[in-house]
Amino acid sequence: MLTGMIDNGPPEAAAAWSAVMSTAAGARRWQQAALAADEAINGFVEVDATRDTAAVTGAAGNNGAAGSQGAAGATAAQALAGVPFAVKDNIAVQGFSLSCGSALLRGLAAPYTATAVARLQRAGARVVGKTNLDEFGMGSSSEHSCFGPVRNPWDSEVVAGGSSGGSAAVVAAGLVPFALGSDTGGSVRQPASFCGVYGLKPTYGAVSRFGLVAYASSLDVIGVTASDPATARVVFEAMRGVDQLDQSSADYPPPPEPAPRGLVVGVPKGVLDGVDPAVRRALEACRDRLREAGVRCVPVELGSLEYVVPAYYVIATAEASANLARYDGVRYGTRDGYGAADAEEMTIAARSAGFGAEVKLRILVGTYVLRSGFQEQYYQRAQRIRTLIRRSFERAFGEVDLLLMPTFPVPPFARGDAGLDAFQQKQGDLFTCTANLTGHPALAVPGIIDGGLPIGVQFMAPYFREDLLFQVAAPLAAQCETPRPPRYLGPGALRGAGGASCGEDG
Amino acid sequence: MAAKASSGAAAYQPHIGLEIHVQLVTNSKVFCQCRNAFGDRPNENVCPVCLGYPGILPALNREAVLGAYMLARTLGCTLSTRTVFERKNYFYPDLPKNYQISQFGAPVGRDGAFTAEIDGSPTTVGIREVHLEEDAGKMIHAGDISLLDYNRTGTPLVEVVTQPELTGATAAEQFLEEFRRLVRFLGVCDGNMEQGSLRCDANVSVNRFGAGLGSKVEIKNLNSFKFVRNALAFEIGRQTAVMAKGGAVRVETRLWNENRDCTEPMRVKESEDDYRYFPEPDLPPFCPDEAFFAAVEERMVELPLARRDRLREQFAVTAQQAAFLTAEPDTADFFERAVAAGADASLAARWLGADIRGHLNQRRETLAASHLTPERLAALLAMLGRGEVNGKIAKQVLAKVIAEDRDPEAVVEQDGLRQITDSGELRPILERVVADNPRVAAQIAAGERKPAGFLVGQVMRHTAGRAHPDQVHALIEALYEPAPGGEPRNDG
Repeated sequence: MLTGMIDNGPPEAAAAWSAVMSTAAGARRWQQAALAADEAINGFVEVDATRDTAAVTGAAGNNGAAGSQGAAGATAAQALAGVPFAVKDNIAVQGFSLSCGSALLRGLAAPYTATAVARLQRAGARVVGKTNLDEFGMGSSSEHSCFGPVRNPWDSEVVAGGSSGGSAAVVAAGLVPFALGSDTGGSVRQPASFCGVYGLKPTYGAVSRFGLVAYASSLDVIGVTASDPATARVVFEAMRGVDQLDQSSADYPPPPEPAPRGLVVGVPKGVLDGVDPAVRRALEACRDRLREAGVRCVPVELGSLEYVVPAYYVIATAEASANLARYDGVRYGTRDGYGAADAEEMTIAARSAGFGAEVKLRILVGTYVLRSGFQEQYYQRAQRIRTLIRRSFERAFGEVDLLLMPTFPVPPFARGDAGLDAFQQKQGDLFTCTANLTGHPALAVPGIIDGGLPIGVQFMAPYFREDLLFQVAAPLAAQCETPRPPRYLGPGALRGAGGASCGEDG
Repeated sequence: MAAKASSGAAAYQPHIGLEIHVQLVTNSKVFCQCRNAFGDRPNENVCPVCLGYPGILPALNREAVLGAYMLARTLGCTLSTRTVFERKNYFYPDLPKNYQISQFGAPVGRDGAFTAEIDGSPTTVGIREVHLEEDAGKMIHAGDISLLDYNRTGTPLVEVVTQPELTGATAAEQFLEEFRRLVRFLGVCDGNMEQGSLRCDANVSVNRFGAGLGSKVEIKNLNSFKFVRNALAFEIGRQTAVMAKGGAVRVETRLWNENRDCTEPMRVKESEDDYRYFPEPDLPPFCPDEAFFAAVEERMVELPLARRDRLREQFAVTAQQAAFLTAEPDTADFFERAVAAGADASLAARWLGADIRGHLNQRRETLAASHLTPERLAALLAMLGRGEVNGKIAKQVLAKVIAEDRDPEAVVEQDGLRQITDSGELRPILERVVADNPRVAAQIAAGERKPAGFLVGQVMRHTAGRAHPDQVHALIEALYEPAPGGEPRNDG
């Protein structure tokens, strides 16, 4: 059993938030405090503690997702009662922004709600804001946004990581107990590691993608950043399950009987070659803590990860080039092309003005690799590499229950030109994007604080074995509390302040 | 075939292949729950999915896949056990995602054949492939603005590609007519070319006889049978003329211009289209199970050509009647049900092709929707056969059945339309007519037989058409028949 769980109710940490948000006065206090705190980190693109009425009334969105899933009814209905959460601004929540951090979609209000969000609302959780990100999820620093860069709550001159930087930062700063992000190549786990929180990337297909704005459809998953593993687990369990609106979603299988022996964690051989010494220290610290807790850690052969990043970028950009084609300013979004001579000119004007440089780069690369005559050389070759990587991971999971790896090869880096250039950032996706290529679930876990900055590590598990991720995270969480940055809000600071009494909570 | 106009033209051979777009009749669109209907107010049947909003995903409509497999099965294709959807990428404002979910590498069906009666003989044309895709919307240009109607966006469309085995403009037209009958018999498409539910592009190449395919020209916008025939005839003539002068036909796409009766090259693009097909990551391959294939088999029907032959054999109707009866599945069904209800087959075929058709056309009704049922037709024809009504009255009864939703027996009884066959009833009427027309009577008495018809007509007039004409003739004959050994008898 995980620590911090309460039967039939939100985890302890999340329950404290429900108490704060249960009154209008509490919600107001939260909103003021959150907005003030966010000035330093720029994690939110929109904050509104009162707009989401779906959770309160129990109406789970408008898209018919209700009834299309097998989540446990009675307990799920209470699992997150009154818990506030934030949603990355590339996941649809009806009536909230759906900018994707792009000037092209700035001001767009979502006309429907994502299935994952609707299921959380049905479990009682309430959307209180949308979070900042790299445009369309493309980036590792959350600096490529039309709303400006996200700053790391631990050090405002350091990036929060990306692309779900906002979702990691607002959780780390204690503004919400959890947030939804999306993970295409590490976009939940890397910012979680950079900000010192937990970051779950579920098995591909475990959580419906309906309502997640597609970057690379075969790699995208909706994930969670959370202040503690218990909350991440409850959130995941409320979201998962097959959805008629997403035909790549799967019925979540019941976990097999636990092995009589304890967990065995594999550390891939050579995985620490060339990584930053601080990252090595973080991984070794986690390994030592696991051993202390009686978990066996063994070296495991994984084969070369040399072609992971090239294969990932070929597939991701190929799919992105088609996924982002719809943004032409014709039906929604901003359009710069009034007075254009024809549709083509109008589309070119809208896209030239609306997309940022990184997005344009990836669309161009993706268009290039899909050209007829080039597909064999790039796209199909990348798919073959993907199959080989998947096999090598499946082989490894025949020997061990979990894999322990760095999340990112370097600690949180400086913002702007002082940090990593775009190419170095892409190379850094090495450890995270493997899970997206293979579809395996992975969890980023806080590791150490080094030089005042958090460095996390990640675990990977076999398909649909998120339970193992939470199982291995529990002793780590028990050994050391989630570190908090110097300025941390948290539910404690809001409870009872301004004379709001317990009587009002009834 | 008609003789070729000149020996020069006969030296060349056209090769025509059709790409036929079949809009499937389904309740909802192929990837969302929106209504699949023609003629609604613009942008009424749309949702975030078919408008390509950020974050949406397609969910495949099983009804549409079934329709595609039914058509592929009917066309004798090898059916795919793992059919894959792919993205076809191109930018156009009527395509909300700026890619079309279509098929490329693994379509629903491949390598089939379809037999049509062309110039009176059955002709088999190869079917290259059958695939399922989503339709685009409509862009309406009005002055210097363009309007978009997305009702059609995402409606299920099956594309059928034939081998280039058709050899002439009228052959292509006849093939398409037979194909249209096929989809209507199968019930997968209403085949309405005016509304665009059946559309056609054609590939034409002309080459010297026996020299194989020539340079392919694609013609678009052939939205009626007439356009198919005229455009292909024009294009064959154009290409033949180019080749006869020693020129080379350019590979290009042309549009049929209905106002100028010619094909014209479409705007030439600088680069060739590259659709960058790749498998649709949002839809897993569709792998039909046994139950699915059983459902396809269950829905197989007798094809129009086979039914035409059977009707001729089984009911001894003429070739022309059989063709008419099998033009629409409803007509053939109606006919067979009427015969089963006791109607004389040849009479039923004749009535369906003439009077019934006339009434329905006038009333703009379909046979299925009209008040005439196969049982009512059978009853009416039975009364005609028994002589209870004559032909002319029967036609009046038919009109009343269709207009007033009444049984033919009731019409005859209640409206007093039963034929008068009783001589006792007819004789006094005839006598009054004879008295009123002494000059005619005298002519007949003098041995002229022709004016007898006039007297019959007068009797019919006095009886509102109910008199049995043969009976009246017989009475006249009897009246003027020279009695043995005496003058015609004069009563009184």
